[in-house]
Amino acid sequence: MTEEEQQMIDHIVRLIRKPNLSIDENTPLVSSGLIDSMALVDLLLKLEDLTHKRIPPGKVQPKDMNTVALMFATAERVGKARK
Amino acid sequence: MAGSMTGFRNLIDALAAAPGDRPFVTAWIDEDEQETVTFAEFQRCARSQAKMLSEHDVSVGDRVIILMPQSIPAMTTFVGAMMLGAIPAFLAYPNFKVEASKYRSGLAGVTANLKAKVVVIDDAFPEELLGHVSVSEEARLLRTSDSKNVRTEVELPELESHSEGLAFIQHSAGTTGLQKGVALTHSAVLRQLEHLTCALRVDGAKDSVYSWLPLYHDMGLIACFMLPMVYHMRVVMQSPLDWVMHPETMLEIISKYKCTLAWMPNFAFQFVPRRTPRNRWAQYDLSSARALINCSEPVRSSSMREFESAFSCIGLKSGTLQSSYAMAENVFAVTQSEVNRPSGPKQIWADGQRFRSMHLIAPVAEGTPGAVSFTSSGRLLPNNEVRILSESATMLAPGYVGEILIKSDSLFTGYYNRPDLTAKAIAESWCHTGDLGFTLEDELYVIGRKKDLLIVGGENFYPQDIEEIVASHPALHDGRVVAMGLYNADLGTEDIVVVAEVEREELLTDTAEVERELRNLIVAGIGVAVRTIFLKPPKWIVKSTAGKAARSATREKLLKEHPELDVESGESKDA
Repeated sequence: MTEEEQQMIDHIVRLIRKPNLSIDENTPLVSSGLIDSMALVDLLLKLEDLTHKRIPPGKVQPKDMNTVALMFATAERVGKARK
Repeated sequence: MAGSMTGFRNLIDALAAAPGDRPFVTAWIDEDEQETVTFAEFQRCARSQAKMLSEHDVSVGDRVIILMPQSIPAMTTFVGAMMLGAIPAFLAYPNFKVEASKYRSGLAGVTANLKAKVVVIDDAFPEELLGHVSVSEEARLLRTSDSKNVRTEVELPELESHSEGLAFIQHSAGTTGLQKGVALTHSAVLRQLEHLTCALRVDGAKDSVYSWLPLYHDMGLIACFMLPMVYHMRVVMQSPLDWVMHPETMLEIISKYKCTLAWMPNFAFQFVPRRTPRNRWAQYDLSSARALINCSEPVRSSSMREFESAFSCIGLKSGTLQSSYAMAENVFAVTQSEVNRPSGPKQIWADGQRFRSMHLIAPVAEGTPGAVSFTSSGRLLPNNEVRILSESATMLAPGYVGEILIKSDSLFTGYYNRPDLTAKAIAESWCHTGDLGFTLEDELYVIGRKKDLLIVGGENFYPQDIEEIVASHPALHDGRVVAMGLYNADLGTEDIVVVAEVEREELLTDTAEVERELRNLIVAGIGVAVRTIFLKPPKWIVKSTAGKAARSATREKLLKEHPELDVESGESKDA
């Protein structure tokens, strides 16, 4: 796991306020109901920060945000380097 | 009904009359990527889309559903359908924020009601949602490739003059479930635009529009697409999702393109200054803007003040913030504030007690203890009339609060395929809006939705008033407050319950003090005691796709978590 992925996991654990919950980069988040759709804007902004990319939200679907690994793969696929 | 004074038979004629080399739509993707088409290029692409649709047997009167991301191709497809005399409708495109199950059921309902000949989607439309697009037996699903680079001219047959024919269907802003399709004729749309441009003193050669509004809502479709198309103005548009992610881009776009007009719902006037880091404000220049119009929610003077005081230092002129009352059923605007008034929309103060107990506006001086303030939505557009109706359906005099009824020469004739809903909405040419408001000195003031009204012991309370007071407490998150009425069977009336999010989770360890302060604030502000205040952790309140607290969804969530509050569901009083 990369350092950025770990930072994202820490962020998610804080966000969903279940400190004892153990999640890794492959834990389903959206399909399992752990995070709701409204939290996804926050996660996408965090992903932009961690990857230093601009991620066009129109190219992202809920399934692209289902796990931390998928989030970073999505950033790689659709993200644009920031100036 | 008489045609439009613009002299155009229909919307397509109006587009055809535009100066070909003038920029029409600029799609802002991000700071490095923008795409602009001129009026001539736009028409060429629209004709090509018309050709594509006609090859799939689309003709006069057929419904065409457009399920595409907010983009120039979505707009040219819409106009292409109109060029054939077909009736297009934009529906919301799925995105990462929408609840998949909610989206699916909404999509299935709306598409079934429209019985479209074709449904146009883009190549990226998620496969898993396709099964929920209801397509009638002879209908087709079309994937459209991006046709912006069409260079060849496509000849289309000359359309008959059909100003009284349906131009398109726009959906009323329903929050959940079935949205209602509002069917509009070319002439109704042209008349509305003529009244609106007159009120706003639009000059197509000098004005330009900024928009992040979705094309499937009236503000995005009428004010930010049809208005520029018919009056030959430029519109610089970004997608609602891009805006929600980075609201600061609004300032960037207006500065760069020197846009003069924009429409936004009330919450955006707070959202933009709060989400734009203060140290970046100075990069922007809002001096080009001459009307930023607060529309589609009750207008709050505090939100207007927040925007104005934040951005007056970067060129925002006093009097630029304006207001309007609009609805899909009237094509768009019913009222518009006077654009030349230097102080912006009129604001009044009224006695709070008489407002709540007698539903009467008794003006008092600004700052009078217990006074409530209201911001006007402006004066009626030409050929628009309004009536205020009491609970017992009698017409009320100016200064009395009741349901707003409207009548105009741009009023819709019915909800598409829904005579049941039409019969409920229109009676003797008057449309019952379900909104509450009053008139005073020829101005209309809109207070809220009839169904949101809280009635406690015969006194009316408006959830927005309570929410505004509660949100002013520093321990709470701005805008994350919902006030609601819950039936109290013992008292036979409603009790007021407030749910609010604290700013930081640790504030929940001792809530007694915050609750006490909130009760005091509410009593001091509007003279009512709330039954219960629920303080919840950050992100507890359910929000709409636009980032607003969603009242009914939050109410459902609260009742689920606190079933003891839900005395109504077990009773049959309304059944």
